[in-house]
Amino acid sequence: MIRLVLDRFVGMVFTMALVSLLVFLIMELPPGDYADRYAFRKYSGTGVNVTEGDIQAIREDLGLDKPLVFRYVDWIGNIVLYGDFGQAFAFETPVTKVIGDKVWLTLGILFATLIVTYLISIPIGIFAAVNRGSSGDYLLTVFSYLGLALPNFLLALILLYFANRWFGADIGGLMSPAFERAPWSLAKLWDVIAHLWLPAFVLAWSAVAYQLQTVRATMSDELNKLSVTAARARGVPETKLLIKYPARLAINPVVSTIGFDVNRIFSELPIVAAVLGLTELGELLLRAYLDLDMYVAGAILLMLTFAIVFMNFVSDILLAWLDPRIKLGS
Amino acid sequence: MAVTDDVGAVGAAPALTPKQRRAAERERKRLLKYYSASQWTLIWWRFRRHRAAMIAFVILGLMALMGLFAEFVAPYGPTTRDVRYLSGAPQIPMFCDHNGCSLRPFVHGASTKRDPVTLRAISVPDPEKRVYVAFFTQGERVLILGLFPTRTHLFGLDDRQTKLHLWGTDDLGRDVFSRTLYATRTSLSIGVLGVLISFVLALIIGGTAGYFGGMTDNVIQRLTEVIRVIPVIPLYMGLAAAMPKEWSTTQVYFAMTVILGLFGWPTLARRVRSQLLSIRNEDYVVAARLAGARPARIIGQHMLPSFTSFIIVDLVISFPYMILSETALSFVGLGLRPPATSWGVLLQQAQSIRVIEQMPWLFIPAVFVVVAVLAFTVIGDGLRDAADPYSEAR
Amino acid sequence: MEPLLTVENLTVSFRTDEGLITPVMGVGFTVYKGKTLGLVGESGSGKSVSTKALIRLLPGSARIAPDSRMHYRAKSGELIKIETLGNRGPAIRHLRGGEIGMIFQEPMASFSPVYTIGNQIMEAVRLHRGLSGRQARTLAVDMLDKVGISNPRDRVDQYPHELSGGMRQRAMIALALSAGPALLIADEPTTALDVTVQAQVLELMRGLQDELGMGLIFITHDLGVIAQIAEEVAVMYLGTIVERGPTRAVIRAPQHPYTQGLLRAIPSLDRLNDRLQAVPGDIPSPLERPTGCGFHPRCPHKIAGLCDTTAPAETAAGPGRRVRCWLNEESGRPAA
Repeated sequence: MIRLVLDRFVGMVFTMALVSLLVFLIMELPPGDYADRYAFRKYSGTGVNVTEGDIQAIREDLGLDKPLVFRYVDWIGNIVLYGDFGQAFAFETPVTKVIGDKVWLTLGILFATLIVTYLISIPIGIFAAVNRGSSGDYLLTVFSYLGLALPNFLLALILLYFANRWFGADIGGLMSPAFERAPWSLAKLWDVIAHLWLPAFVLAWSAVAYQLQTVRATMSDELNKLSVTAARARGVPETKLLIKYPARLAINPVVSTIGFDVNRIFSELPIVAAVLGLTELGELLLRAYLDLDMYVAGAILLMLTFAIVFMNFVSDILLAWLDPRIKLGS
Repeated sequence: MAVTDDVGAVGAAPALTPKQRRAAERERKRLLKYYSASQWTLIWWRFRRHRAAMIAFVILGLMALMGLFAEFVAPYGPTTRDVRYLSGAPQIPMFCDHNGCSLRPFVHGASTKRDPVTLRAISVPDPEKRVYVAFFTQGERVLILGLFPTRTHLFGLDDRQTKLHLWGTDDLGRDVFSRTLYATRTSLSIGVLGVLISFVLALIIGGTAGYFGGMTDNVIQRLTEVIRVIPVIPLYMGLAAAMPKEWSTTQVYFAMTVILGLFGWPTLARRVRSQLLSIRNEDYVVAARLAGARPARIIGQHMLPSFTSFIIVDLVISFPYMILSETALSFVGLGLRPPATSWGVLLQQAQSIRVIEQMPWLFIPAVFVVVAVLAFTVIGDGLRDAADPYSEAR
Repeated sequence: MEPLLTVENLTVSFRTDEGLITPVMGVGFTVYKGKTLGLVGESGSGKSVSTKALIRLLPGSARIAPDSRMHYRAKSGELIKIETLGNRGPAIRHLRGGEIGMIFQEPMASFSPVYTIGNQIMEAVRLHRGLSGRQARTLAVDMLDKVGISNPRDRVDQYPHELSGGMRQRAMIALALSAGPALLIADEPTTALDVTVQAQVLELMRGLQDELGMGLIFITHDLGVIAQIAEEVAVMYLGTIVERGPTRAVIRAPQHPYTQGLLRAIPSLDRLNDRLQAVPGDIPSPLERPTGCGFHPRCPHKIAGLCDTTAPAETAAGPGRRVRCWLNEESGRPAA
């Protein structure tokens, strides 16, 4: 077990190193460089005539004239050693300050979504498999098709529309306006939790549809296994039997795809956040992209991916713990 | 008549009636046809029996045709403005109104007035004015498929002064129906091109990994893992954000297909690789090798056919991802940009609840997105069942 | 001697998409304490279905005909009419495992892979013996020891995939026996094992049966295995018992053409130079049951106009033997 954890940990670090390289390349992709955009931002509309020399000065000042490899090493070195993600020019503040407590909000949304996903998909998937061919099962199949076809951001729009029509309320946002600038307190935390269910439901939408199918399919397979018949043949009560034998194994594919679910959620997060007006990393990422604020964008992309890689790691360990057949290297 | 019937029944009682014999003959022919049918014919037969998939296939086909011939089907161009019908509601052709009925469908004319409160230009329907719907009307000059010039459109209104807006207009007075058709073409074609690009990449990358195995495979697997782990829409967004603002619509369009194709391959590549790796040691492949077949023949004759059908299924189910990604990117303004039209670009107009409340018809392109994705998914499922040689046949 | 289990006229049918099929038709047999009944037949002959009916383990689409009788004398002396019990509920659960134990063909698949052997044995012990915790564990270790598993104290905490095939089947036997059944149904328990292991497991089952005095129903398609373990044998074909009697007598002088065919199909050292003779044809699908005697399309001695129209009844054929064949009934005709 310890070897397995170590092995997966090394794999995680290696993957993250490659990811950071790719993220850095994406940050470098937009035409022009940080100095160009910085100068343009700072002086446009002020009447100051910016010369090529001024820009060059900024470039040297920020070390942007160094070769790509050095800049990458600088960037990643500062992140790893000092937790410094560089400068966000749009705000003339360090990236870390811009991001601030949004990391925790994002993680809150992530875990709320995961909980909603599994609380819905696992029991209902099991129910559908046990009652295979019933009208409830049929209904769920239709729903899961729809869940895969209706993009989350459109669902968000539809929900907003009906909430507005029926209750006349704006149900978007992550907290009541009163708490927007307030320091963290229990009341504010509670307010956030109360606002969390909508984004969690919207983001869980397609993940639920997907996992529902997975759980239903595995559960159907497991129900036909000889071990279930054998357990029944030794007189194990039906409910206990279902939970202990097939359901226990039907959860394994769900656990093994936790990282995949996190990926899916983060993938949809920026757009859903834009629609629902959530002030967290996804929405910030979108704004950073639109403003070409690449240090902020890179930092967020790196954080989101790190969360996914970490959850993959967690899912590997969980799975090895759940399934004794999994051995190192297989 | 009755006499011959009687005779037939009596005479054929112990043996087969001619009708039964014909049925038996038909059955024999059917079986012969079944046993001698090629793999693809079999797949097609099985697919045809999958009712939902067939329906999806027809719907998607219609959608594609409507997009392909958008110039002819759409009454107006994607950017044509009708200043007399700004933000207008859908006009549903009717046969009856308070003035009585008519055999030809018609709509009511409209005139633009100013809202007394907001001073916004709004169109007010004029229930006294009837304008009849007509087919093959003359309208704007267009090039069908970019080749054939015509002024004829599938349908329009008798009166050339008024325009028919089946699904209403946006705030600039552009016809939502026409725009949706043009958008359908853009969105579906981006899907096709994206899938093609990622397919070629998947074949090359997955093929290399699966054919060489060992160290090469290891390295490629690691790199694939890196790409799979980054959330895909933020990744696309990063690449799309880098597109220079001054690029033309065409440049952006092709850049989008490349971006979507560039990172759509990992799933497919994984399939190609694992199939190649597992087939490499199959008895029949080893047998072919021992029989002295050349590698090209082994791959072409023995390895590829065994999983082409799976690859086609994977191709079909990767369409929705392309379409949804394009829609999502354009929706937030990082994909295609006006004046280009795609489902995502159209939906961009319907981003706030206020707009949806006042002009719900701007949300119609969303229905297209959902139907297209649903159709692709159902077809994919049908194909998967049909391509499985062990599924119940005949 | 009073029988442990009496089955009479057992008929089981299934609703399927293609219509109603009846894999078991009017089957009857008796099992005595300490004795072994062998059920022989090809796959699809209904032998597994009829034993699964005994502990009501059939799927929801199955129906047991109302005039079927399955009477079981419980350990307490009470007579249990199995046909009156449902598929669920405490009564049938008590019967399953506690009174009638079952061993399946594939030991790997009969254990759940994610629990230890001990966990699954102790579950049965807790359910049927009312023991708990430490006591259940001690019993599990004893049982593993009894079936010949070395280091039972360590093995009890191992997972099924950590044992070899023969070990797993031994553990499965331990699991079935740990609940203390009076009747054990073994459904092809040795088929998936190597020949040498097969012999060991047979030896073990015989020894345990002597020691515990259980009744045993041994299902197999292999008459050779039956010869080693069963006192009495019943040969099934297409859902009915076509021949039955003391094992030795049936094997020495089979009366039914099907039994004769089965015996000729066994490779034997005495007949190395002869060609093996297969029973011609395939077992028909239960949807296309032949009219008359079910075996007539494959039978080398069929009587045209009789076998293909009317099913034969079961008739006596020597001491303790019965056979269901027109050749026996129409004693005037030579049995070829």
